[in-house]
Amino acid sequence: MKQIQITIDESSLYGQTVLEVNDLSVTRSGKLVLEDINLEIKSGEFVGLVGPNGSGKSTLMLSILGILKAQKGSVRIYGSPPLSRNQIGKIGWVSQAAANLKKDIRITVKELVKLGTINTKNMFFRSKKEQHSAVESAIKMVGMEGYKNTDVSKLSGGQRQRAVIARALASNADFILLDEPLVGIDRNARNSLLKLLDNLCHDEGKTILMVSHDLAAIRQTAHRMIFLEQKIWFDGNSEEFPDLNELADLRGIHHVHEHASSKGEEE
Amino acid sequence: MTFEGLGLEILALLAPLLEILAPLMPGDIFPRFFNMEMMQRSLIASVMVTIVAGILGVFLIVQNLSLIGDGLAHVSFGGVAIAIVIGATNPLWYALMFSVIAAICIHELQARDILTGDASIAIFLTGVLSIGLISLTVWGGGVTADIHSYLFGSQLLIDEDTLNWISYVCIFSLIIMAFIGPSLLACIVDPLAARVQGLPVKGVGLLFAIITAGAVVTMVKVVGALLVTALLVTPAATAQLVGNSFRSCLLWTQFFGITSVLGGLYVSSEMGAGSGSAIAFFAAVLFALVAISKTTVNIMSKSNDN
Repeated sequence: MKQIQITIDESSLYGQTVLEVNDLSVTRSGKLVLEDINLEIKSGEFVGLVGPNGSGKSTLMLSILGILKAQKGSVRIYGSPPLSRNQIGKIGWVSQAAANLKKDIRITVKELVKLGTINTKNMFFRSKKEQHSAVESAIKMVGMEGYKNTDVSKLSGGQRQRAVIARALASNADFILLDEPLVGIDRNARNSLLKLLDNLCHDEGKTILMVSHDLAAIRQTAHRMIFLEQKIWFDGNSEEFPDLNELADLRGIHHVHEHASSKGEEE
Repeated sequence: MTFEGLGLEILALLAPLLEILAPLMPGDIFPRFFNMEMMQRSLIASVMVTIVAGILGVFLIVQNLSLIGDGLAHVSFGGVAIAIVIGATNPLWYALMFSVIAAICIHELQARDILTGDASIAIFLTGVLSIGLISLTVWGGGVTADIHSYLFGSQLLIDEDTLNWISYVCIFSLIIMAFIGPSLLACIVDPLAARVQGLPVKGVGLLFAIITAGAVVTMVKVVGALLVTALLVTPAATAQLVGNSFRSCLLWTQFFGITSVLGGLYVSSEMGAGSGSAIAFFAAVLFALVAISKTTVNIMSKSNDN
């Protein structure tokens, strides 16, 4: 098995290093899920992380966030280990659970976004004024001004996803991680959501790392793509992302095509 | 003037106001809740307990933990039974101790995924209750009137010490909730995102469990162990039907809770029914009325659309 490495010549265009993963290996319930992951993301990049189910995408995200501990190797965000105090408020996490928020909880978009402004430092005392402006600008960024006081459970899938993204933005986060944000939303909503993420990256200067099953969608938006299945098999420009058969050859297996495409339809 | 305890200070503060309201109140006996000191004590205790119960209830309902109140109330009752057998002066301290320990254990069992919510509640409910009942029957001479009051509430028997005790627990719970409320909501809505924000998800959950345990014990004294859920869950559930934001749910819960208490006390004093059961009944009726009218409005607006 050989691994391909493509160096990105535009990397000089991007700024400081946001994320640095070195030789990361993670074992979960006795199974090696991630093996020798090396990854660097610079500020302003829009990175798509793809791979079949059970390929370790979620594990990688959880390790980056510091929820899972690495057995080997290290993760550095803005130069320090995950969950360090200097990262508080800088990282926005949009979890998969976002799409299936509890139905029996009455909470407006504004109230939901406001939750994003709470952190360790201001847990007990917050400036109402600062909080208010952070909430307003986050709602504006995702274009949900018209739904500020709407109950989240009454929103469509796409709108709900926007609300949850706004929650992540409300902390003024620069580095946004999204887990399957396109699940459960229709085609139009999907396209406008991708456009929103694109704008966040280009206009607001956010760094984005997004996990998705939807290869086509991620390919048209992300600048850089990573194919993960236990190891990183491809890391490079989106245009150079190999088609699935090629990828299968690279990895010495042959059913990746059916696998990945059937996944896409299920969602 | 010497400080005689938080409850009595609150009573002294509110008594003049209650006396102004007294002539406006309907019924023959009900106005005495506003102008007789013994009755004023029970009114103030009931309202304070209801306010705290309402706030906790809104948070419990969204976590699907509605039955924890019931569980902890039975645990408290077991604690009271043990205290009575030992001959303790204030059984509520024992109830508080058992309730807090049980709440912490239930929370830990859930947080560590050892048992799901309902099962751990059921085990503690029956476990501690049975210890209490066994010690009562073996050493304590069976179920006495005093025990009866803890099962069904003894609002009218709230003495000065108990009022002070309830006030301390309630005010303490309110202060803590004011601080951790938003963080708690963040942890409930999305625990993972809350951790990324740096919130101590486990600590906040544990603190909430302890507060709930304390509040339940005060409720046991007011409505009785069997009916705690009526104060804790019913007003919050009714509010879920009419509120359209978290904030409005909190406010509606207070409205429904306090209405239930006043209505229940009225019914119990005029008709001689037990106060705890009257409050629980009133709360359930309110829920039914709101649910029925909401459904009717929904059906009407749908048929108008067509």
